[in-house]
Amino acid sequence: MTRQISILSGKGGAGKTSVTASIIKMMDSVVAVDADVNASNLPILLPYTRQSTTAYFGMDIAQVDHDQCTGCGACLTACQFDAISQNEEGRILIDSDCEGCATCAFVCPVNAINMVKRKGGDWYVSCMDNGYLIHADLIPGEDNSGKLITKIRSEASAIAKEQDIAYIVIDGPPGTSCQAISSITGVDLVLAVVEESLSGISDYRRLAELIQKFSIPHFVLLNKAGFSAEVENKIILSADEFGGKVIGRIPFDHNIPQALQNLKSLADMDEYKSIIGEILKQITGN
Amino acid sequence: MIISVVSGKGGAGKTTLAASIAQVFAAEFYDLDVDAPNAEYFLKPDFSSKIPVTQPVPIFSEELCDGCGICTKECRFHALYRIMKTVYLSEPLCHGCGLCKMVCPQQAISYQDSLVGDVRSGYSQRTKNMVHVGDLIIGSTRGTYLISEMVKKIDRDKLSVIDGPPGNSCAAVAAIKPADLIILVVEPTPFGFHDMQQTEQIVQQMGKNYLIIANKAMSDASVEEYFKNKPKKAALTIPLDDRYHEANLKGEILSQQFSEIYRGLQQIISPELTRP
Repeated sequence: MTRQISILSGKGGAGKTSVTASIIKMMDSVVAVDADVNASNLPILLPYTRQSTTAYFGMDIAQVDHDQCTGCGACLTACQFDAISQNEEGRILIDSDCEGCATCAFVCPVNAINMVKRKGGDWYVSCMDNGYLIHADLIPGEDNSGKLITKIRSEASAIAKEQDIAYIVIDGPPGTSCQAISSITGVDLVLAVVEESLSGISDYRRLAELIQKFSIPHFVLLNKAGFSAEVENKIILSADEFGGKVIGRIPFDHNIPQALQNLKSLADMDEYKSIIGEILKQITGN
Repeated sequence: MIISVVSGKGGAGKTTLAASIAQVFAAEFYDLDVDAPNAEYFLKPDFSSKIPVTQPVPIFSEELCDGCGICTKECRFHALYRIMKTVYLSEPLCHGCGLCKMVCPQQAISYQDSLVGDVRSGYSQRTKNMVHVGDLIIGSTRGTYLISEMVKKIDRDKLSVIDGPPGNSCAAVAAIKPADLIILVVEPTPFGFHDMQQTEQIVQQMGKNYLIIANKAMSDASVEEYFKNKPKKAALTIPLDDRYHEANLKGEILSQQFSEIYRGLQQIISPELTRP
């Protein structure tokens, strides 16, 4: 049975990706997933060889057949997303706010609107020395639907099953919206990376509330710690309140961003290797 | 005039700098990072109102619905499903487009407002202006809708600062679209540059005027090296400094605590405000 671990934080920049990459580097065998599909950074830290590229199509979008269109404007009033406008010559224009609902196509009396496929990005399967990496690049500005995350996660599950790999580790997106949900559903454990700051606490609390809804256990890793005992204490109390076990603490240390600058992870730093090893033990239960 | 602060990468310092810019220019503030809003920890507004933001979602008349299931097939967001002869709505997936109501042969569907989130507003002594914070319901898919609804209320005759969401998806676009000036915050690391490039692409495609601020720089040399062959350079570089970090994590506004930040922001942004 594959065990799935998702690494999240609520807040952006809390250290999800550097922690995830560090953990992955210390594993014997793993399928790694970068679920932050519109700011995909995990591959930057992991050496990999690309095996395959697959186009991803998001929602279809509306396209006007100007030969058919009479410019009646029925679509203008039907669109709830202000995505349709009409220029001075009466030409109907559809902009990037189109959410692909197809209401305009339905109301058009002359069937001049077609729903057409739109490429949303690409997703990739790659090999690493210790397993596989599945990641994606969303085209900038595209709808960041959970659909792509769900797609790459199911691919990861299939590979893990086929190759008999025991762990899937997911680098999650920031925030607590649908993308976060797509990275939480069906996982066995969430590791919340919490930055020592007031913002970090606030976003952790929102995340913990979300995790609770799914009844998934979670652990807490304190990051960028050491400046304020008071803030740290508040994080520990919050973790307690939401039933998150604090399993590690990484200090604020200029050597860490310096190492990342050189594409080194914490697993490559002598002073942090043991902390990451301990976290790995805790999350894998070994 | 609207200034939007965005970055691509989370944690680059959007909120930190947006709060500082609002303080320097006493601007009205909109926290549009609706699924992780944090500006209030810096601006400490005295919240005086909380207004719900709603979106219409379908409800089904038990008497009229005959369970034909046409609506479940037509809904492109897969927000409707049918068990036996009853249709159910999975509300987080609903975009409120109205198609189901139109396709229903029984006219069994009507719309009623459903909560997407709240907008809390209050006066900040620190910026001497109003602060508006968008709180999306946790787990909702409707962040972009909440952002757009908040943007509609912005008075363009006044100076406003938008703290945008991270990432480069449609939510970021919704925060960039209304702006007259974009402040692109980059953390000068391989991660930060990677994510900023994508945001820069969106900003350029939309033809927006923008300034780049490199924040948490390990060294000036690394920032210069990166921008060496780029047409657009960083207008301001802020070093990774323990003093800034400490003030920031405790919710202090950097421009209020450190005169060099105040001056730096004033110098780069003031000329843009007076542009015709």
